[in-house]
Amino acid sequence: MKVDLHPRLGLLFNAYLLMFFIHKVQTGVGVVGLPRIVYLDSKHDAWISVFLAGVITGIVIWAMFIMLKQYDSADLYGIQVDIYGRWIGNFLNIVYMIYLSACFFTIFMNYIEIVQVWIFPNLPTWQLSLVLIALSVYAVQGGVRIVIGFAFLGVLGTLWLGAILIVPMKYADTTHLFPILNIDVKHLIKGIYGSSLSMMGFELLMFFYPFIKDKKSTLLYAQIGNLYTTILFTVVTLVSIMFFAEDSLARTIWPVLSMFKIVRLPNLERFEFIAVSFWMLIILPNMSAYLWAASKGFSRVIKMKQKHGIWIIGILGWALAFFVHTRSQMNTVTDYVAKMGFVLAFCYPVMLSAIVLMKKRFMRRKAANAQGS
Amino acid sequence: MFKWRSDRKQAEEHKSHSLNVDELKKQLEEELASCSDISFRTIKKDGKKILTSFLSSLIDKSSLDEFILQSLQTNFTKNMTLEEVAQILPIAQLSASNQLKEIVESIIEGSVYIYVEGEPCGLLANVSKTAERSLEKAETEALVYGPKISFTESLPINVNILRSNVKDAKLCFEDIEVSTRVKARIKIVYIKDIADPNNVETFRQRISNLKVDYIPDTTVLGQLIENNSWSVFPQLMTTELPDRISIGLLSGKVAVLMDRSPAALYGPTPFFTFFESTEDIYMRWNMAFFLRMLRLTAIFLSVLLTPAYVSVLTYHYEVIPSPLLVSLGQSRANVPFPPVFEALLLEFIIEMLREAGARLPTKVGQTMGIVGGIVIGQAAVDAGFTSNILIIIIALSALGSFTTPSYLMGTAIRIIRFPIIIMAGFWGGIGIMVAFCFFMIHLLKLDSLGRPYLSPAYPLRLSDLGYSMFRYPLEYLSKRPATNQPKDNDRFPFKKAKEKKDVDE
Repeated sequence: MKVDLHPRLGLLFNAYLLMFFIHKVQTGVGVVGLPRIVYLDSKHDAWISVFLAGVITGIVIWAMFIMLKQYDSADLYGIQVDIYGRWIGNFLNIVYMIYLSACFFTIFMNYIEIVQVWIFPNLPTWQLSLVLIALSVYAVQGGVRIVIGFAFLGVLGTLWLGAILIVPMKYADTTHLFPILNIDVKHLIKGIYGSSLSMMGFELLMFFYPFIKDKKSTLLYAQIGNLYTTILFTVVTLVSIMFFAEDSLARTIWPVLSMFKIVRLPNLERFEFIAVSFWMLIILPNMSAYLWAASKGFSRVIKMKQKHGIWIIGILGWALAFFVHTRSQMNTVTDYVAKMGFVLAFCYPVMLSAIVLMKKRFMRRKAANAQGS
Repeated sequence: MFKWRSDRKQAEEHKSHSLNVDELKKQLEEELASCSDISFRTIKKDGKKILTSFLSSLIDKSSLDEFILQSLQTNFTKNMTLEEVAQILPIAQLSASNQLKEIVESIIEGSVYIYVEGEPCGLLANVSKTAERSLEKAETEALVYGPKISFTESLPINVNILRSNVKDAKLCFEDIEVSTRVKARIKIVYIKDIADPNNVETFRQRISNLKVDYIPDTTVLGQLIENNSWSVFPQLMTTELPDRISIGLLSGKVAVLMDRSPAALYGPTPFFTFFESTEDIYMRWNMAFFLRMLRLTAIFLSVLLTPAYVSVLTYHYEVIPSPLLVSLGQSRANVPFPPVFEALLLEFIIEMLREAGARLPTKVGQTMGIVGGIVIGQAAVDAGFTSNILIIIIALSALGSFTTPSYLMGTAIRIIRFPIIIMAGFWGGIGIMVAFCFFMIHLLKLDSLGRPYLSPAYPLRLSDLGYSMFRYPLEYLSKRPATNQPKDNDRFPFKKAKEKKDVDE
């Protein structure tokens, strides 16, 4: 397998799109429940945890960029083979493929759960999952430009949802926030860990990197995207802490949707029905991005066509949905994916970039020595 | 597409005709499938036979008599060579030939074949007269403001209009050969130092690769050469407004003209081009901006309003505030159908009315409108078929779809409403979003002449938004739209337009 991937010019996309893309893949089903999950650990200082998680994400993105910069135009699949050799490298690649497919699976399963709870209690899971998978397969078949474009339009189409937060802000009570920072560090860190699932998605940068046109500005735009996500998440958490009473936030599973409930226009009420429907525009680009990255592995790791990989993952995901019956099962799966993601998206890339740096430095020294002697 | 020529026919193509006048007559008659309107006139002078053959229905009789027959009768002498014969004919378009196929093709196009017996080849003189209408106002793209002249079916007239609109030495008309059974005269039009050569090449290649028997119109040509023929969305635009083409040419687009077609095809035309009207350019920018926004909103509502009604009334009635819900409930109290059925029925009636109105002559058409609007609308509500509110919504969405300047795109928008209504009937808001996402992906995947279909939106080209989605004041439109990838980007120096004088300077 070649380490570097050189797509033809027509497939490349401009780096500024990365800012939308990174934001889009980070914002998924996680945000809806984010304030509560963090609140359970770090109480009224949850927003600090979320913010710190964003900062840490920024550092991880930086490490990733350092790693990617060492290569001409490589993705993670290539780098792992380059570092560990064919066997271990490809084994780790397959682990990543499984992880990416699992993310794909959790995203749509969580969304279907939200739909079933809020709108259609009797909607069979297999129907909606079939449609969602079919749509993302349709998108991914168009290739990387469609996936990125869909994420871009998805951001533009859902920007206004952020503005809705103004309404609950009217009922906010700032005293909920005080005293600031009186939670111990252990809980604060637990909160950071808790928000990692919602922050995930930026690891896709390692797979889309070869397709960026001006690779030098990758870091800048990825950081802008992450910054926007961090600010948005922090604000969402802040508003939920201020809006809900102490206990009720702990008991509200999807605080963001519950806050949408109070929006009232002259001809429209119960805004969460619209929000839940609109959330599809948030999760579908996510699904297609993960599906693209996972199916890319089929052409990179196994000698197969990517289009076959898309179908295999799609059908597999649909079939697996039949095995999940209850909310608790889905929770276990989500927790498991979150743990996997914490390792594979946060910890491992930092480690790998250190290894890559060392290896490159070692090689350079070796080359210098060889020249010197 | 199919291959209509056999190899045997191809061999026959290069066959020179007989040198004997009587045999030549027979050959021509045979080749022209013995049409009744083929005429021969043989002049005998100085012991030589001169044959003129033509299709009497296609030629201008007076110029035949005056310029060909008269000249031959008075000026012909025995020892004239072919070149000398050509000298005595006061005709602009003359060519020599002895290929039977070529001669027949020229005769079909309105030429006269003049053959002096014994010579190796004869002369083709073009004295054709085609039926053409005079210049008229544009019908399908009606305008309130701005030039109203429209293309006609005649290619020379269309070329004439374009040439006089764009008096630019670099304006290029390129003939294209199409391997069709019925010969089509097609010209690619572009401004050489503005248009992207890739666009021109794409057009050239796609058109010359065609293998069809007949192309009736540029609209068909457009369907034949666009990339995704399964989509409802047209990917190349046809227009009957010459000024639209001239504006397009100057912004780097490429047009295709065809003889006997009153519309010009042009591209690349991304999605938003179909919502642009030439009026937007002629009007002051703020009015045009308002109108364009109005149009886009109308389209959006037209697609979304009925499905929203269906989904809200079927599944999410909690969304409606209670005072409004009461009046909605009252108006729907007598309706026995579920909302999907009700909406589909009424949409169907509206579509039928529109179609009937379009097919009937104008005088009856107006009556149709009254019959449809008042009788069916009022009666349907009284009979308890539909609710009043749905009638308002359907009327609004029909109105909205009619605001599209392009008839094709308007139709596409009306058609995509039906699947969305059905999806709304299945899954309410979720169904609408499923359809919405599908169309979004679909539009992302389309392309117009190899350029992205959603162009100024994705890939985002901020400077182009002033042309397509919004409308900026003219002084800010100093760059040609990047969507067309023009060779020469600048329309005028931006700095000079922006120069500001001091107070009282």
